[in-house]
Amino acid sequence: MNENKKSRPHVPGRGTLLAEMVFFFLGFFLLALKDGKWESFVLSVAVPAIIYVGTAGISHLFPSDRLLLSLTNFLCALGVLVLYRLSPSRGMSQAVNYGVGVGCMMLCAMLVRFVRNWKWLTVLIMAGSVGLLALPLLFGRETNGAKNWVSLGSYSFQPSEVVKLALLVSVSYLLSQRKPLIAIGFGGVCLLMLMLQKDLGTALLYFGVVFVLLYAATGSIPLVIGGVLGGAGAAVMGYQMFAHVKRRVAIWLNPWADTEGAGYQIVQSLIAIVNGGAWGVGLGLGNAQVIPEYYNDFIFSVILHEFGVVFGLVVLCMYLFIIIRAVMIARRSRTVFHALLATGCASMLALQTFVIIGGNIKLIPLTGVTLPFISYGGTSMLCSLCVVGLLQGVASLAKAGIQEDRELAMQGGEAP
Amino acid sequence: MKQLRKNINRVALFLCALFVLLAAWGAYSLNTYGNRWFSSSANTFARSRKKDVTAGDILDRSGVVLATTVDGQRVYQGEAAARRATVHVVGDSGYNVNNSAESFFATYLYGFDMSFLERLSFAIRGEQRRGDTVKLTIDSRLETYIASIFPSGKAGAVVVMNYQTGEVLAEQSFPTFDPQYISASVKSDPQKPFYNRAVQGLYTPGSTFKMVTAASVIQHFSDYAARQFQCDGVLQLGNRVITDAGTNLSENKITRHGALSLQRAFQVSCNNAFAQAALQLGDLRLKKTAEDLGFNDNFLFRDLVVENSSYPTLNRTDGEIAWTGAGQSALTASPLHMCMIASAIANKGVMMEPRLLLSATAPNGTQRTGFSTREYRRPLTAAQAEVLKEYMRAVVTGGTGTAANIPGTNVCGKTGSAEIDGQEFTNAWFVGFMDESASPYALSIVVENAGGGGSVAAPMAKKIFTWMLKNGYIQ
Repeated sequence: MNENKKSRPHVPGRGTLLAEMVFFFLGFFLLALKDGKWESFVLSVAVPAIIYVGTAGISHLFPSDRLLLSLTNFLCALGVLVLYRLSPSRGMSQAVNYGVGVGCMMLCAMLVRFVRNWKWLTVLIMAGSVGLLALPLLFGRETNGAKNWVSLGSYSFQPSEVVKLALLVSVSYLLSQRKPLIAIGFGGVCLLMLMLQKDLGTALLYFGVVFVLLYAATGSIPLVIGGVLGGAGAAVMGYQMFAHVKRRVAIWLNPWADTEGAGYQIVQSLIAIVNGGAWGVGLGLGNAQVIPEYYNDFIFSVILHEFGVVFGLVVLCMYLFIIIRAVMIARRSRTVFHALLATGCASMLALQTFVIIGGNIKLIPLTGVTLPFISYGGTSMLCSLCVVGLLQGVASLAKAGIQEDRELAMQGGEAP
Repeated sequence: MKQLRKNINRVALFLCALFVLLAAWGAYSLNTYGNRWFSSSANTFARSRKKDVTAGDILDRSGVVLATTVDGQRVYQGEAAARRATVHVVGDSGYNVNNSAESFFATYLYGFDMSFLERLSFAIRGEQRRGDTVKLTIDSRLETYIASIFPSGKAGAVVVMNYQTGEVLAEQSFPTFDPQYISASVKSDPQKPFYNRAVQGLYTPGSTFKMVTAASVIQHFSDYAARQFQCDGVLQLGNRVITDAGTNLSENKITRHGALSLQRAFQVSCNNAFAQAALQLGDLRLKKTAEDLGFNDNFLFRDLVVENSSYPTLNRTDGEIAWTGAGQSALTASPLHMCMIASAIANKGVMMEPRLLLSATAPNGTQRTGFSTREYRRPLTAAQAEVLKEYMRAVVTGGTGTAANIPGTNVCGKTGSAEIDGQEFTNAWFVGFMDESASPYALSIVVENAGGGGSVAAPMAKKIFTWMLKNGYIQ
């Protein structure tokens, strides 16, 4: 019994969860005092409640990674808070997205936990993905130079976000079955269709994830070199082929050439960050609405503006901990498929975060991908939470496995 | 499975590295450029915050008040002539001048750097917060004098700086305007009075660049003193022809200097000799010296934003390299940068960082810190600087710059007459300094579309230096 206690991994206790809930209660309460609207009071109770369900509730259902859960919930709630402060209607619908997302996260975790035969499911997923990606090409509308949205009546969504999940599952499965060629082929088809939609930011993510998974599965150095070269080649080709890519690169190189026109967005983002300084101007006191797309591409700049650079670094660390936690799940998992799936989830979240925050602070040219968990948007929120769901599924299997071993060991048996 | 875990470890390292890169870049760029972003005229947030604070005063180096706040209104004091002479450094309340003191020193003027305790003490006393008083290095009397001798109706710039400390005494752009009364005609003027030519104007340096070419020859050829250049007046290189001032091929008038030493070529500003020098050096060595002297550098000075100068990198044919040696081709430099180059020669090869901010004082008397002088770089050795100084002295005693000569004072300089496509006359340049330890001042003058540097700019240099010597600029 003693040994059992010792080897139990550390889980964040109730303290963390309570602190999180108090933080967001106070955040929304502060806004409520300022605007006096009943919605704000409702959110000051509802958001902590979702956090409770999303963290403690889930871990009651099945063994899960609680640190990962509390970090994820914190970021989601932070997104709701910042969005609600800037644009109450967006904040409200993001709160709904968050609630639904937590549900989807559970579903995904269950899927990984209970599906044992992935073969036919993978075939189905692959066919579905290609079909989904074809939709915007047939019925899509063009926004910001890319044609990657589909409308169903008044409802619209981004198929490339949904296909992210499919890509993670199917490529991991194919690689675990030692079918790298099919995996590359499938990844290539998806990439090509994204290029046709001119959704190059997402194409970059897909490329990165498939490439990382290939490396993890094969460990081949020529592959790394080939991948880097291929990526560079694709980047140059994209630059030559698409006018809006050229424009974005030019803006990235010198946004100050046209602070009122083309460079306005990134210039205002940088100015918002520096206005915030180390400790921020304070929740509700900023004017980050001047940044076009502040609620989506530039949400991180808004956070830096109102909460300060120090808090921004903390948020960055939270992402980093999520990634590290995901990698630990991958290392602990007991099948190649699950290890690859978790690695893919980690790299998807990491690359997406890097690409958009890098764009916000002018490290790389801006691409229109969302900041996981925080950016406004239903599809993005659901998919990011589903990725965490997949991770939780893998984690729960590993934990269950470890538990089994332990019981066997105590009975004097041997671990398989 | 073991191999897989190893690979996953590497993937994890890579992903973590991305995050480290993000944090490092963020810290670096905020630290390096933060003040510039903040002071940008596009910063609407800071502007809205300024309403809560009474802006501090702006003074010149001797304490003359240039800008103050009366009943919440920004007032630019003194006579109209003084207001007009200092406007490009001080700025205007509408932020029409980019990166002027009004916007670039907003951190101090509007008390953004105030500590929590200071803010609290204002709040307890129930007063509106007051920003710091900012003292600039410029001399408004000197600037007023310079404005009075600048050819009327012409565009151009004048910079005067102390080459030992880097303090800028005058940084002026013409035409100018009165910040107190900005009329509609100022805004529509095709000569763009808001534009600060001293730091934003990227000019072809013309023959003043021969300081750089000569420096490169001295650095790279130990026999520079013995070298002879042959000037036949016309040098055909591909489709480019190198000629000297006064040559007019259609009228068959050709200026020929014959055989010249480097010093003599510098003294008479012979294009052909410097074209040959550039070809003998080659593009790489000339570029190296130019870059040591600040070309192609990203200027990040603490007090002022200076447009980057550029040494051309495209289309480097022999004809272009030759013309670069004579200061034409696609070279560009700001008047302030040319003044820094002369300063480095005057200051034994040490280039100081230009300074505009002398001090910032809080309303309660606290001095803000961090305004020390700083070396920018050491592009030349003391011996090389000494040789160049002799060359520049020779220009004033018996070359193209004799109009700048002041009996009893060691004035050194280099003239320039830069040819600009589509202009009737050349841009007149004079860049020089007083080689006097008691009066360590360098200047740079550009008058657009005005004629030869020796006849237009050099006499102005003489007047400015003479005025300075008469008005106490002797330590």
